[in-house]
Amino acid sequence: MSFEKFLFYVFAAILVFAAVMVITRKNPVHSALFLVLAFFNSAGLWMLAEAEFLAIALVLVYVGAVMVLFLFVVMMLDINIAELRAGFVRNAPVAILVAIAMVIELVIVVGPQRFGLDEVAAPAAKPAGYSNTEELGLALFTQHLYAFEIAAVILLVGIVAAIGLTMRRRPDTKSQDPSRQVTVKAKDRLRVIKMDAEEKA
Amino acid sequence: MIALSDYLMVGAILFSLSVAGIFLNRKNVILLLMCIELMLLAVNINFIAFSYFLGDTAGQVFVFFILTVAAAEAAIGLAILVVLFRGRRTINVADMDTLKG
Amino acid sequence: MEYNLASLQPALPEIFLLSAACLILVIDLFLTERTRLLTYGLSLAALAGAVALTLYAAGPEREILFHGSFVRDPMSDVLKIGLLLISLFAFVYAKDYLIELDILRGEYYVLGLFGVLGMLVMISANSFLTVYLGLELLALCLYALVAFHRDSGAGAEAAMKYFVLGALASGMLLYGISMVYGATGQLTFPEVAGVIAGGDADQTVLVFGLVFIVVGVSFKFGAVPFHMWVPDVYQGAPTSVTLFLGSAPKIAAFALTMRLLVDGMGSLVEQWQNMLIILAVLSMALGNVVAIAQSNVKRMLAYSTISHVGFIFLGLLAGTDKGYTAAMFYAITYALTAAGGFGVITMLCRKGFDAENLHDLKGLNDRSPWLAFMMLLIMFSMAGVPPTVGFFAKLFVLDAVISVDMVWLALVAVFFSIIGAFYYIRAVKMMYFDKPIDTAPLAASMDTQVMMSINGLAMLGFGLFPAALLGTCRAAFSG
Repeated sequence: MSFEKFLFYVFAAILVFAAVMVITRKNPVHSALFLVLAFFNSAGLWMLAEAEFLAIALVLVYVGAVMVLFLFVVMMLDINIAELRAGFVRNAPVAILVAIAMVIELVIVVGPQRFGLDEVAAPAAKPAGYSNTEELGLALFTQHLYAFEIAAVILLVGIVAAIGLTMRRRPDTKSQDPSRQVTVKAKDRLRVIKMDAEEKA
Repeated sequence: MIALSDYLMVGAILFSLSVAGIFLNRKNVILLLMCIELMLLAVNINFIAFSYFLGDTAGQVFVFFILTVAAAEAAIGLAILVVLFRGRRTINVADMDTLKG
Repeated sequence: MEYNLASLQPALPEIFLLSAACLILVIDLFLTERTRLLTYGLSLAALAGAVALTLYAAGPEREILFHGSFVRDPMSDVLKIGLLLISLFAFVYAKDYLIELDILRGEYYVLGLFGVLGMLVMISANSFLTVYLGLELLALCLYALVAFHRDSGAGAEAAMKYFVLGALASGMLLYGISMVYGATGQLTFPEVAGVIAGGDADQTVLVFGLVFIVVGVSFKFGAVPFHMWVPDVYQGAPTSVTLFLGSAPKIAAFALTMRLLVDGMGSLVEQWQNMLIILAVLSMALGNVVAIAQSNVKRMLAYSTISHVGFIFLGLLAGTDKGYTAAMFYAITYALTAAGGFGVITMLCRKGFDAENLHDLKGLNDRSPWLAFMMLLIMFSMAGVPPTVGFFAKLFVLDAVISVDMVWLALVAVFFSIIGAFYYIRAVKMMYFDKPIDTAPLAASMDTQVMMSINGLAMLGFGLFPAALLGTCRAAFSG
């Protein structure tokens, strides 16, 4: 067994273990953390498949931003775990059956007799100086320019929708208005009162 | 050497687990969102494996876009979740409402 | 391929709509409550401009742009114009409703415009990547719109359900796409079709991917057995959103199916034909039968949508140009009919009162004979009563199915539409022969009334002269 193959099995085993933990944990915070573990290990698998840029992006963007957002929301909301777990045990046999049936069917289709090494040979090693990021960037900004623009719109919609749904203007919010601060004159704040000097009693 | 089928089988197992997770956690919306993330991860593993063995970058570009869309999707999904919990007026969430400025 | 501005001409409607939506988003920030209607006016102008540009860019030839990601062909021209016009109706009907519910915020129209853009992208998609991105752009806008009424618990719940099932459907679709990509090594539809026709791809893997793709598509369409979200979302969403969601996206879903199944995997027609037969029969049966038992009018129309989706599938599964023409005619006219139907319901709503129940329709004739007549035409069109357009739409689909020797399927369809006619006619009976429960006067602004009249009379007009629209649809496939 080559070292690469060994690494593959380690990553894959931890990935599957983490995925099982994600769907079975009682506490959503634990699930989210196991999901982070799953992302890290699949980043490892992607490295082995020479998709370096995406592997790094998965860790930086996905674990770094999306999962943090997940954790943030999970912790912000007060979740009644007991209520949410209702039906977990009852659904378990069905879920396990579905999972086993699906795994068998999927593996029959994508298994070694169709996609094994004899059927699909491993690609030749890339030449020295080859950069995955460069190739991906070239493809992204030439061939897939249209898709890139649509993705930009999708992110914009994400921003608009998330703000539109959750932001509420509160009437009692205290905030500063810099333009009003700058234009303020001394006479608006200070009143000079002319009065006669008072005699000492 | 690692075969294409090895990657695809990992993807298949992850995909099945995410479907099982959806069956298991029908009530728990947050876990449903996480199962969907797992499902997309399974798809991404498939695309990257195919891309590597076909020697074609298009698969990796597809993964790039799936990641982008999934990020936007997570943002909207969590926003809806926040609206949902706010509407139900759980005590702690109401308390936190006053802290926002 | 070199880029200059002239070469971007086929994509002008999309580019214009995107710029307009961004501009409206910024302008809206500077508007106050009282001037908010400017956003509405600009959004309508944006849609009208996109219609004009679509007409300008139209032509009989097939143009491919952006390294094969984008296609403009006669089919996309017709679908785009239909889609933009129906969105125009949906935007107009929404205005009064939003004002009454006090949720008229600029984001509504901006998200609506981005959703329309997503549908345009789907219609013009020429690769799996663009079709997926267009679909997601539409879906993300719709999720947010369903939850738009933030103080309504039902809205947020419906949005969550829609979101989870929609994301699940995307996951399925993507898994299928990954299999097709693995089998063919291509992402653009003509290349995928070429590889499949060449016989080099592994048939099992392809069919396997096809199953996942069909499941994803039927989730998005809301076909039985993947319809669970439809009634809940239709009921929980604000009525104006239900109106948008139930009309224009049906055209986009038709385009999605055409691009994925016909353009991309046309030579696997025998495989997907069988899948669609099951989906169509189940949808027509369940939709029509369950709709009878509904007392909520939005839920009733949701089940009615499911049955109409069955009819659209019926045209598609014929697998001939005649069938595609019939399905396209059906999708466009149904979207217009649904827009009108939900439009009437939005007009019944007023401050603090959301018309939702079937008995809110009672005595509509006494309150507003004109509105009742429009609703009568719309209901007759949904039921398929001549001489409304719904009758001809059904007739063309049945004709296409019979011409590929599937007479039994046509008989099943006729049987279930006769069952379906019952609940539409019941609604008409309530409008004309029952006493009104609610006697508040119906006030609607001028633009809504004009659009509603056009919408209702179009049911009759297209029904009396179906040849014009049918000819346009036919030309889309003969070119």
